[in-house]
Amino acid sequence: MLVKAKTSGTQKFYLVEIIKGLYITMRAMLFGKTVTIQYPEERRDYSDRYRGMHYIKATNGVENCTACMLCPTVCPAECIHIEAGERPDKEKYPVKFEIDVLRCCFCGMCEEACPKDAIKLSTIYEMSQTHREVFEKDYLLEQRGNK
Amino acid sequence: MAKCTIDGREVEFVAGTNLIEVAAKAGIEIPYFCYHPGLSIVAQCRMCAVEIEKMPKLQTACSTPATEGMVVKTRSDRVRQNQKSVMEFLLINHPLDCPICDKSGECDLQDQSFKYGDPYMRYTEERRTYLDLDMGPVIKKNMNRCIHCTRCIRFGTEVAGIHEMVAVQRGSNTEITTVDGRPLETDYAGNYSDVCPTGSLTLKDFRFRKRAWFLKKTPTVCEGCSRGCNMEIHQDANVIYRCLPRTNMEVNKYWLCDEGRFNYHYVNQEDRIVLPTLQAGESYQPTDWNQAIDQAKAVFNGKKLAILVGTDLTNEEAIQLQTFLPKQFGNAPVFHFGTPGIASTQDDAPADQILKRKSRTSNLNGFEKLGFKGFESLPAGIEAVLVIRGGRAEIPKFAAGVKVVGLGVFHTAENPGFEVVLPGTSFAEKDGTIVNFEGREQKLKRSINPRGQCKQLPEILMMWMNRGMSAGVAS
Repeated sequence: MLVKAKTSGTQKFYLVEIIKGLYITMRAMLFGKTVTIQYPEERRDYSDRYRGMHYIKATNGVENCTACMLCPTVCPAECIHIEAGERPDKEKYPVKFEIDVLRCCFCGMCEEACPKDAIKLSTIYEMSQTHREVFEKDYLLEQRGNK
Repeated sequence: MAKCTIDGREVEFVAGTNLIEVAAKAGIEIPYFCYHPGLSIVAQCRMCAVEIEKMPKLQTACSTPATEGMVVKTRSDRVRQNQKSVMEFLLINHPLDCPICDKSGECDLQDQSFKYGDPYMRYTEERRTYLDLDMGPVIKKNMNRCIHCTRCIRFGTEVAGIHEMVAVQRGSNTEITTVDGRPLETDYAGNYSDVCPTGSLTLKDFRFRKRAWFLKKTPTVCEGCSRGCNMEIHQDANVIYRCLPRTNMEVNKYWLCDEGRFNYHYVNQEDRIVLPTLQAGESYQPTDWNQAIDQAKAVFNGKKLAILVGTDLTNEEAIQLQTFLPKQFGNAPVFHFGTPGIASTQDDAPADQILKRKSRTSNLNGFEKLGFKGFESLPAGIEAVLVIRGGRAEIPKFAAGVKVVGLGVFHTAENPGFEVVLPGTSFAEKDGTIVNFEGREQKLKRSINPRGQCKQLPEILMMWMNRGMSAGVAS
């Protein structure tokens, strides 16, 4: 059904409405609070519980991970690949620990499943890249997190 | 049949059956650690204690045969309290190793602690620890995880027939070890890991390679010898990780020998020839199927030919060959081969007193029933040989100058010196029937896809025939 909007005389005149609209714009522009920020210089505060880039926690320089495979088991995106091995100072450790970040959905279930407090999601959210990235173990072992 | 009551349910039983088995038949689970249907009963873990009416104390279900009119309670408060206490005692010294332990996911202790145990522990003292002992190439021991069920000791003495595992010290200091710390000698050492209800004895072969819950299981039959033990292939992403015995009371009971258990290695071996190859000098050159078949035909062209068929092939393949070979090669002699010195089932005998038999291929009996002749030596004047095998039959040595074409599973390390190799499939990659030494027909089941360009035998035979026709080459 076609409904015709009822317009008053001033609305039909057009100029009055333009000035009204410009008044609202100008008011917000000159006296209102800004909602945007100057991004790289200014940053917004995120919650400490934000789930961003992954890292593996290390204690005294040794990774906490024992390659128990609970994170690849629980991962709904199947983006974690681990190969276990043995070395003299640690019975079981991950020889390979890869996270295919593009597949990751940042649900944080790996962090929840981990019995060794090893895999963590930091609050780092700047992860854009120009190529497809798989996080290798060495990269994940950089202690960049705050958890 | 006699009847007893378990948890208010009337259950029929055969006289002499113990309560664990009777209850299991009725679908009632009684937890246990030290009991194993294939071993003697010691009743020392106390986990299976149940309440029986008119008996003042709890009775261990594994050592109590069911009797007429017996009234058993497996879920009463007293029983539950006992299970909780037993679990607490067993876990006092058990390390929280599950993330590292290979057994986790299929561990009796883990499952039953979850089901019957208490999530809280009152023990705050230091746990006992042991130094580990090397137990030879098959078994990795971790004594800290042991719960002293003595299944391994009983397996050694009662089944493997060697008293090599012993318990030394007493009480909580008990240590399971080998006599004088010697490495294990039995050929059935893999079963120690199977009977162990915890991660105390694990396979070195499987160590840290895969978690148990990722594995997909295919019931199949071992091709290690003419016994045809039932087993399960565990694979993930087309890679076989291990083989475990499957219970069949009439063939192998609960056991599997090490040779059969680790036989699967050749399937995924690096040097397996998975592309059609031609021999160029010392090395093998991969090529395509058409060229390889043309080359094989050229090798055979005008020569006096003999055909050797491995007894590790299935009955289905043998029958296909029986129709195919006379059509393609006229009356060239056909022999079956497998183990040197064993040309017929007459020569096949037990190799030990447990499972192993002398014929190291699985289908010797089947081939003989189908009327193949056994191979002893090549008839005089043979210039070329076609060897068809599944991967286990041992290739005989041929005189220099005899040209050989291989069809099936071969490895470059064997270096058979073949002119052409047409890659076929191993026992894990095909379906089929094999006949064991007593005439029992059993099914091989395909668990993984063929590697590389390996093809099933019928497909290769079809390609061979069609190639001949289109190229107009007289076969």
